[in-house]
Amino acid sequence: TGGHTTEILRLLSCLSESYSPRHYVFADSDKMSEAKIRSFEQKRAETFPKSQFTLHRIPRSREVRQPWISSVLTTLYSMLYSLPLTNKLKPDLILCNGPGTCVPVCIAALLLGLLGIKRSIIVYVESICRVETLSLSGKILYYFSDYFIVQWPNLKEKYPKSVYLGRIV
Amino acid sequence: FRFKDSLAEDLRSADLIISHAGAGSCLETLEKGKPLIVVINDKLMNNHQLELARQLHRDGYVLCCHCSTLVETLQLMDLSTLKPFPPGQPEKFALFLDKVVGFQ
Repeated sequence: TGGHTTEILRLLSCLSESYSPRHYVFADSDKMSEAKIRSFEQKRAETFPKSQFTLHRIPRSREVRQPWISSVLTTLYSMLYSLPLTNKLKPDLILCNGPGTCVPVCIAALLLGLLGIKRSIIVYVESICRVETLSLSGKILYYFSDYFIVQWPNLKEKYPKSVYLGRIV
Repeated sequence: FRFKDSLAEDLRSADLIISHAGAGSCLETLEKGKPLIVVINDKLMNNHQLELARQLHRDGYVLCCHCSTLVETLQLMDLSTLKPFPPGQPEKFALFLDKVVGFQ
């Protein structure tokens, strides 16, 4: 959604062409991300004409401040989409910035890894807005991601297993 | 004005921005190098939004106030005390990721 998409696109801005094809997964209720992504990819194609990308929508797994019990149910529902999608794409690398949408995708990837079907590297970058506390996605994925990146030193202190590279968006 | 696609033009021509504590608003303004006063709404219990505004204030990039103290802040403000906001460095992320994935 919105701010997250802007952040993710900035994170992608310096990546080499080896990071291809790119598959963008976002919430079906998200109206603005598609335009931002297409604009980014269009610009990128000017430098790297062989650029490939795809877009995928899955049901939004949690509304802002949705209580946790119903969040578990809506996340499970999203997994009915994220599991076949992740299995189809079998990504080598999953990059996420914290919207609820990333949780069902990462859980699907973890499941596929446990089942020996595909082991994806999960890199989670907590949003720049998170200075002192982690988002709910962050609190969950801190334990399940391969690399957990924070953008403020406070968080690095509180979450020692995280990686701190300074502000990267 | 309610839901313009982009405030970029308005930001460019302004000399001072007064904004709520939304991260997008704060960062977009700071990146354009405009002085910013962040107004914190105590009634909106949107606590995590305040984290960024507080930190930006601590680091000297923005001025902060509450709705009730806005007028006073405008009267007494010294914008020259605000520090320029350095851009983020996605290149550092790219370097890190290359190592992680094995493209070196």
